[in-house]
Amino acid sequence: MKKHLILTAILAVILFSVPVYAATPLETIKVNVNQVLEVLRDPALKGQAAKETKKERLRAVYYKMFDEMELSKRSLSRNWKKLTPEQQQEFVRLFHQILENTYADRILAYKNEKISFDRESRVSPTQAEVFTRFFTSSAEIPINYRLTLVGGNWKVYDIVIENVSLVQNYRTQFNDILSKNPPEKLLDILRKKVKQS
Amino acid sequence: MWKTRSGVSDMKLRSSIIFLFVLLGWCISIPAGSGSFSVSPVWAASDDVVAVTAEEQGTLSDEEAAEPALPEGPTAAAVTEDPSDADFEDEDEPANLEQDNGNGVPALADPIEPFNRAMYQFNDKLYFWVLKPVATGYTKVVPEGARVSVKNFFTNLAFPIRFVSCLLQADFTCTAQETGRFFLNSIWGVAGLFDVASMEGVNLPKQDADLGQTFGVWGIGQGFYIVWPVLGPSSPRDTLGTAGEFFLYPVTYLNPWYVPSAARAYEIINDTSLRIGDYEALKGAAIDPYIAIRDAYAQYRYKKIEKKRLKLSAPAPTPAPAESIK
Repeated sequence: MKKHLILTAILAVILFSVPVYAATPLETIKVNVNQVLEVLRDPALKGQAAKETKKERLRAVYYKMFDEMELSKRSLSRNWKKLTPEQQQEFVRLFHQILENTYADRILAYKNEKISFDRESRVSPTQAEVFTRFFTSSAEIPINYRLTLVGGNWKVYDIVIENVSLVQNYRTQFNDILSKNPPEKLLDILRKKVKQS
Repeated sequence: MWKTRSGVSDMKLRSSIIFLFVLLGWCISIPAGSGSFSVSPVWAASDDVVAVTAEEQGTLSDEEAAEPALPEGPTAAAVTEDPSDADFEDEDEPANLEQDNGNGVPALADPIEPFNRAMYQFNDKLYFWVLKPVATGYTKVVPEGARVSVKNFFTNLAFPIRFVSCLLQADFTCTAQETGRFFLNSIWGVAGLFDVASMEGVNLPKQDADLGQTFGVWGIGQGFYIVWPVLGPSSPRDTLGTAGEFFLYPVTYLNPWYVPSAARAYEIINDTSLRIGDYEALKGAAIDPYIAIRDAYAQYRYKKIEKKRLKLSAPAPTPAPAESIK
């Protein structure tokens, strides 16, 4: 009984101290990416059958790692305000689906390539960028993560692969569409895109 | 082996050089300083905004006196119409959203979009109908290690391009590193088949230098977006760079006449074989692949030049630590 109490106390201390200790941006990325690698390397999850399980577990890491709202807002930039709250919600959902459909397979195709976590730079107290490199057989691909501090945790809102910012790339495309069409049309295009894949 | 080329290709060369000089003239007549030009028809993605002339801008800015400095067009107007939009006064990227699409990268003008879109379609088909099937077949015959070696070999052969670019940029650490790499890889790397210089312990990675970048470092603006058949995304400035590189690439001078093209074609197939899936992913992720690639090209080139400028403008301390950071 007493042992139990001590254990509970220790557990409580550990649990409650977690939010107080904010990992650095670099640590955050390292932990999350390693969790992704764990899923990908899991020997119990081999073959096509386990693909859905893998995706499920990757999704959990994704929600922990990314600030989806921030990512969506930044991708629309000023156009965000043109959407009604319902449209915004739908946009976030569709955008997530498109990203997942495209990148899940790319991530699942991972073949033990080396990743190096190089450094972080603080842009401001609540903004940071983490620099990593991904080594394929023939090339070295710089991948940077842009993070923002949300409720004591660093969350990713943009990925910069080989100097190309994902958010900006989408922003240019959305801007192009929204310059000629109402928001509903953009959602329509996204809906079609999700259905296709 | 290294004799001059046949008359026919001489003619072709001459006409392409003339064409390029016309383009260069165009490019230089644009106010330099990379950002200044590109900012104007920023949103020129739609047909109706393509040719936003100075007069049009003038008349429009009368109506919208609040933002006279901004490029006019549906999006530009739309984007700026809500000044109360404090949410997006990004702390880290102040005032960038209107001016250059955020992120500090000026958007690339696209006055010849219909032509570019057609060329994009052509290249897309070229990839799916020719390059990909050939590269896939090639992948089945040649193991990955060998293909990486082929790539290394061509990369090593392109040493003069990087060397001259570094030199023209007055980036002497880059020049020295490239020279060191070339000798190491040519001798110990079996004529460049192995990139020994990049290995740990030696740490002489390939320098990211090309002629288009050099012109950018000199302050020549990107100009506008061009998609060439086969060669893909470019701009007047980068086209000139590519043309210059043609003369710096030793393969160009091989005889008989068909060898350079054959070698280039092989190089392209080999490179493609190491990147199958990348284009598909890019295209799959895009809402409008044409715009996505244009933007990716603009960002990629811009940052490549900015990085070089930063490196060159940084006060050069002792060379040793600078290299270890690289």
